[in-house]
Amino acid sequence: MTTPARTAPAQGRHPGPGGATAFWKRKKFMIVAAVVLLALAYLIIVGIQNAAMYYLTAGELLAKGESIGERVRLGGTVAQDSVHAVSGGMTLHFDVTDGQQSIPVTYQGVVPDAFTPGGEVVVEGALTPEGTFNADILLAKCPSKYVPSI
Amino acid sequence: MTDIGSMSLMVAFLVALYVMVAASLGKALNYRELADSARAGLLAAAGLLTLASAAMVYAFVTRDFTIQYVYQYSSSDMSLPYTIAAWWAGQAGSLLLWAWVLSIMGVVVVWQNRRQNLALLTVIIAVIAGVLAFFLGLATFVSNPFDKLPFSAAEGEGLNPLLENMGMFFHPTTLYLGYVGFTIPFAFAIAALVSNRLDDQWIRSTRRWTLFAWFFLGVGNLFGAQWAYVELGWGGYMGWDPVENASIMPWLAGTAYLHSVMIQQRRGMLKVWNMALIIATFALSIFGTFLTRSGVLSSVHTFSVGPMGPLFVSFILVVLAVSVGLLWYRLPQLRSESEMDSLVSRESSFLFNNLLLVGVAFAMFWGTVFPLISEAVTGTKVTVGPPFYNQVIPPILLALLAIMAVCPLIGWRKASRSNLLRNFLRPFVTSLAMPIALVALGVTNVWAVGSSWILAFVVATATLEFYRGLRARRRTRGEDPFRGLPRLVASNKPRYGGLIVHLGFVVMAAGVVASSLFSTSVEGVLQPGDSLDIKNYQVTYRGLKEYQTASNQVVSASLEISKGGRFLQTMQAEKYYHRNHDNPVTEVGLRSTLMEDLYIILAGWDDNAGSATFKILVNPMVTWIWLGGGVLLLGTVIAIWPDRRERDRLVRREQHVLEREVARVQP
Repeated sequence: MTTPARTAPAQGRHPGPGGATAFWKRKKFMIVAAVVLLALAYLIIVGIQNAAMYYLTAGELLAKGESIGERVRLGGTVAQDSVHAVSGGMTLHFDVTDGQQSIPVTYQGVVPDAFTPGGEVVVEGALTPEGTFNADILLAKCPSKYVPSI
Repeated sequence: MTDIGSMSLMVAFLVALYVMVAASLGKALNYRELADSARAGLLAAAGLLTLASAAMVYAFVTRDFTIQYVYQYSSSDMSLPYTIAAWWAGQAGSLLLWAWVLSIMGVVVVWQNRRQNLALLTVIIAVIAGVLAFFLGLATFVSNPFDKLPFSAAEGEGLNPLLENMGMFFHPTTLYLGYVGFTIPFAFAIAALVSNRLDDQWIRSTRRWTLFAWFFLGVGNLFGAQWAYVELGWGGYMGWDPVENASIMPWLAGTAYLHSVMIQQRRGMLKVWNMALIIATFALSIFGTFLTRSGVLSSVHTFSVGPMGPLFVSFILVVLAVSVGLLWYRLPQLRSESEMDSLVSRESSFLFNNLLLVGVAFAMFWGTVFPLISEAVTGTKVTVGPPFYNQVIPPILLALLAIMAVCPLIGWRKASRSNLLRNFLRPFVTSLAMPIALVALGVTNVWAVGSSWILAFVVATATLEFYRGLRARRRTRGEDPFRGLPRLVASNKPRYGGLIVHLGFVVMAAGVVASSLFSTSVEGVLQPGDSLDIKNYQVTYRGLKEYQTASNQVVSASLEISKGGRFLQTMQAEKYYHRNHDNPVTEVGLRSTLMEDLYIILAGWDDNAGSATFKILVNPMVTWIWLGGGVLLLGTVIAIWPDRRERDRLVRREQHVLEREVARVQP
């Protein structure tokens, strides 16, 4: 491979014969870089629009009237004594509460190890007309002291 | 011993403060003795922290449950390796580890620069001591690993069983080496700014440090992915969790930096950009440490309350304010020495590689902090989950891989038509064989076919480069390819090491593309004797048994695997119940081959009915991701290996610079 030695500063910076082309060169770079940046921005904006989900507590979700069927994330605490599993561990019923109000949740899938009654969870899914929250994603916040909140 | 530990920690904090002040004053007042005392102080701090670390390990090994940290993270029945690894299982110990590693690196830097970079060294020491003082301040006053337990306990609580995995030895340690390592190039950059030595000396002096930090951060992430894959039991290796993102962002910025400094060294361009990148990399490393250590796990629920958060945020803001201020002040001295000549050139391809890398990092950052921003702006918390990242990141990464194919071979300044044709025509055409073969095999997924072409293109250009080198050696020295290859690589280690690293990424990318596009899964409730079919595997459930280990109650499901009617092996999918913890730990049944992984999760069971519930996945080519990591290691070691030629080159150039200086002084 040929590698040129470090070259002398280009003359483009100074006004003179090279000035106009240097200006045009820089402009070309600006345009291409701007196109790349716009493409990145477009990807991010569209991505956010498609993937953005409300993150609500039980009270907020109930207060937010017309939210049936809309995919949201619901965060809160698993109410003690509300957990019961059906059919050997793939369906789970429990209540998610924010301390005052609670919503019954039905979750389908593998229950993460960190899930405990009284622990914090985030479930993703939608509210049915019957008032149950059907979730297909369940994230349990690790209750262990691995992360003590100081 | 505990008292020795907490005393040394405290004194180390004071020494670090002193070093920071003494070095700064020594530099400002040009007071040699003060600067020398700072250097000695840094060595003393390293000694004290080594003592404190030894005390920490001693406390764990002797099961000293009067110390709260030891009580919280260990118990007498733990094996020696895990007992020692419990050092970094929690926050306080991790802070100590961070500080100790940094102080050792500081000593190495002082030793390496005992005869060079003397103008920079004082400021470098001041920066390292400043960072050290911050972490030691936290470890001393906010979260002290030597705090006494307020009550007496005969037995500790034990390590979280999730952490009892080989990953515990490799993942946190490598990640910290990466995080801490980026402090060194950052310190050099600040020193260059302060001392107004803005040639590329600081970059050359930190090339190996940067590679070291970059490599360990990358590998730390891989270890983490592997750990999550075998331990968390959901079938994947990357969940786009804030903590995961936080450790990938500095790596991305560091990757951009590693590339763009080459342009500064060759052409004297992008000087401000390089400074900005290393500052960003360091700030993101601190941000990553902060997110990991501040109580965020597996939820969007970030940023714990307590003094730790605000302190970290303030520290990051101070770092940014000081560095950006310095950068602003030195802007006139950081003018580019040359101009970009053409859009079709090496420089230009590096520029776009940088834009895309920073773009990926920004997309991740935006997704991670979006809930906070949306809450601040609109009052409601809006989150983005994996769909966001899965939609945004892959196209940018594929574009990056395409640049990776072009970048190493395209001409500098302005690539001529003949350069383009000579270097790219053949690889471009031959790499088309890959997508054509895939389509012929019946793959119809556009992403898979497109990615395969790009990946094949990278391999083809790299192969061409190796082939040419070997051919030239055969012609000039008559070496056969087997003897020629190691010599070729040794002739320009940074270049060929870099190409090998690129190939490592191709291997990894192939694994990521295949496993994310073609993973399949089934779920089912099985009675003993029942079976589930997935792809051409047949998984038959044979029954459940329970047994007891030293500290765990284990429920183990036995499964027979056959493929295409032929019996392969018996596998176990298990759940562990640790006696001190409520939550079970899933031990997946995993059968890895080069082509695919069979991954079996025991999801639950019914003692009365005798049935058990399984989720079974077939993940194609996951092994390639770990293999790619191995290639990455090989390439990095080659690129980092000491090189006589490189040293000679540096010496020659230094002489050249000196002669020029002399010529200028004596006209």
